[in-house]
Amino acid sequence: MTATTYEPTRQRSPHFFDSLFASLGIFGLALRRNRAGMVGFIGLMIYAVWVLIGPYLVPFDDQVRLDQIASPPGSRLVMITRVEDVSRYTSLDDLNGQTVGVLDRSGGETMVEPYEDSGALEVETERFSSGRGVPALLDQLAEGDVDAVVLFSDAAKRYLTPSSSGENDYPGLVVSNAELGRPYILGTDTQGRDILSHIVHGGTTLITTALVAGLMSTLIAVVLGAMAALVGGMVDTIVTAIANLVLTIPSFPLLIVLAALIQLNNPLMLALLIALLSWPVLMRAIRSQVLSLRERDYVEAAFALDLGLRHIILREILPNMMSFVAINFIFAVTRAMYDQVGLIFLGMVPINDYTWGVMLYFGRSRGTLFSPDSASMVLSPVIAIALFQVSMVLFARSLEEMFDPRLRTAK
Amino acid sequence: MATHTPTAPALEAAPVPSFHLLDYLRRFYANYTVRTIFKALVTIWAVITFTFFLIRLMPGNPVEVYVDFLMNQQNMTYDEAYSRAASQFRFDPDASPVTQYVEYMGHLLQGDLGESITSSGTRVIDQIARFLPWTIFSVGLGLLISFTLGATLGTIMAYKRNTFIDHTLSLISSILSAVPNYIWGLMILIIFGVQLRWFNVGELRGTYSPTMTPGFTLEFLGDVLKHAMLPVLVYVTGSIGGWMLNMRNSTIGTLGEDYVGVARARGLTSSRILLAYVGRNASLPMFTLLAINIGFIIGGSVIIEELFVYKGIGSFLYWSISQRDYTSMQGVFLIITISVVVSNLMADLLYSRLDPRVRVSGEK
Repeated sequence: MTATTYEPTRQRSPHFFDSLFASLGIFGLALRRNRAGMVGFIGLMIYAVWVLIGPYLVPFDDQVRLDQIASPPGSRLVMITRVEDVSRYTSLDDLNGQTVGVLDRSGGETMVEPYEDSGALEVETERFSSGRGVPALLDQLAEGDVDAVVLFSDAAKRYLTPSSSGENDYPGLVVSNAELGRPYILGTDTQGRDILSHIVHGGTTLITTALVAGLMSTLIAVVLGAMAALVGGMVDTIVTAIANLVLTIPSFPLLIVLAALIQLNNPLMLALLIALLSWPVLMRAIRSQVLSLRERDYVEAAFALDLGLRHIILREILPNMMSFVAINFIFAVTRAMYDQVGLIFLGMVPINDYTWGVMLYFGRSRGTLFSPDSASMVLSPVIAIALFQVSMVLFARSLEEMFDPRLRTAK
Repeated sequence: MATHTPTAPALEAAPVPSFHLLDYLRRFYANYTVRTIFKALVTIWAVITFTFFLIRLMPGNPVEVYVDFLMNQQNMTYDEAYSRAASQFRFDPDASPVTQYVEYMGHLLQGDLGESITSSGTRVIDQIARFLPWTIFSVGLGLLISFTLGATLGTIMAYKRNTFIDHTLSLISSILSAVPNYIWGLMILIIFGVQLRWFNVGELRGTYSPTMTPGFTLEFLGDVLKHAMLPVLVYVTGSIGGWMLNMRNSTIGTLGEDYVGVARARGLTSSRILLAYVGRNASLPMFTLLAINIGFIIGGSVIIEELFVYKGIGSFLYWSISQRDYTSMQGVFLIITISVVVSNLMADLLYSRLDPRVRVSGEK
């Protein structure tokens, strides 16, 4: 540092952001020592990419397919031919000029989309009644009206594999080895829609809302906690009394009542509501931290110099508890996630967006929770939420150990 | 308390009697226990008042909800449905909230929680008496198990600090505490109930089997435990991680204290050090957390009880909110608030029993 840029005031009291970056500096070093924290950090990075970029890569699947309800994970399109044609038609190219039967993918309509949409191949297409028309389609294939049928592997399996009695309804038909299209990695929901696309799209609003709620809650806690501790007197009494009152009211039931009251049509309102009910615990912790910090010499010096409350909070107090605030911000986010998904799960928030929470709500309200066939529909969002929460907490715990030497596990 | 009887002011000729009353009150208020109880009462009153007006601000009232129900289910016209609903409910939607509040508080002071609005003739207190014990039972059992188990494991972790056991248990407790309890509930339900069929999900609904007759028989108790199994399991999984981590950190802090080192130097047995020196001091902060947790878990029981169709106070609250049954809602809020306040009070008192330092500073 050269003499011209030397700023004595800055040296004594680091700016808010300076300390933030400083704490990020040792961050990589500490993460290397803490494997669980590393896993959490990588998990969060994956979620960040998923939430920010995922929706652009995987289009939201809103097509109802009544023939493909609740198909298990890994289901994909397959080609079915007559046994004698099995060696003739092994790929879509072999079907050039032939007739292919395709089930309608819009559901319920009697029209069938031309196969080009999914196969990108010019073939003569037949139109079939759709919906639960799989048997009709297979009949036509058996009678020779069409040369091949393209179906979802799950639906094909249901009709073509022998049942327990050893009967096969279509002995003359067989699944050729051609598998077409991309598989439904997570299967489909009760309307035959791709669950994976819902999982990719369902996190954005939830995570953003949780982050905003956590941020607001932390902000309220820091401002009120610091004010209560530094100003003292009436302000302290009132803020503490309000905090105790909010802590006493059962917060989740209150949240339900408020959610009904405010008609949460936008996620921002929901975030604000969650924040307004969740600040007191952190505020009390910050108040006691600030109370101990204000006894330090440099804070007393700042008071003596009459540097103003804003300066004292932002430049003297806050930099010294940045790590504490950062860790508690993460916990506030997980708490907000708990409240938010809980509210959605109970059906207390209007459904504007097909989030993981809404998937859980439908799982409960449509009874798919209790159907062995549709486990994927509820388990997928459950695991998505669980892994997010685990990543957050592992990351926060590693930060905690990093900043509190007493807890540090590595020697 | 006997020392506070106003004998001294009576002897002197009091110039202004009200001054003595104030003085008396002030001395009375200076008493730690009195002050704590007074604060608790004020808190309860504030919560009642706050929630009273809040739930009446909710869109829709019991009559409207019932009118909607009648119009949809029995194809009544609005007027028919309205007159039916109005005659059936002892509730006037047009009365001003302030009048309702004064009336309600009057009844409340006489210990009367009023009648349920949507099911006339049913007293709210009876409803609460019917549903609350199940929640106290399941939440209490869950907390007891998770607290004991968590504190034990936390102490083990602290003693085995930096070993494989500590790392593994730390990771497990982080994961357990991170995932919301209803998410654990969903996982348990789907994986073990629906997929693996370890238990019959349908049979475990409710608080006990409908074929059972309640009574103190072994059979009935077994049935009750079986039905409470899932909620209790979820309360334990959801909160044990927090206890483990808190106990671990608290014990590590205590282990570093001088008095523990001195106790070791005096050659005390390690079990005595563990119980009388480390355990006692390390578990102190846990009691405050326990009080906070009780409120949190009872509040969260709404989701868990809805999920497992366990007929406790949480599921009753959910029902009364969806029906806009003001008096029932109000009663449940009151009960939950009282339980939170009382558990806070008990934590304070317990704390002062366990930690003489608090007792001394509190009585000063």
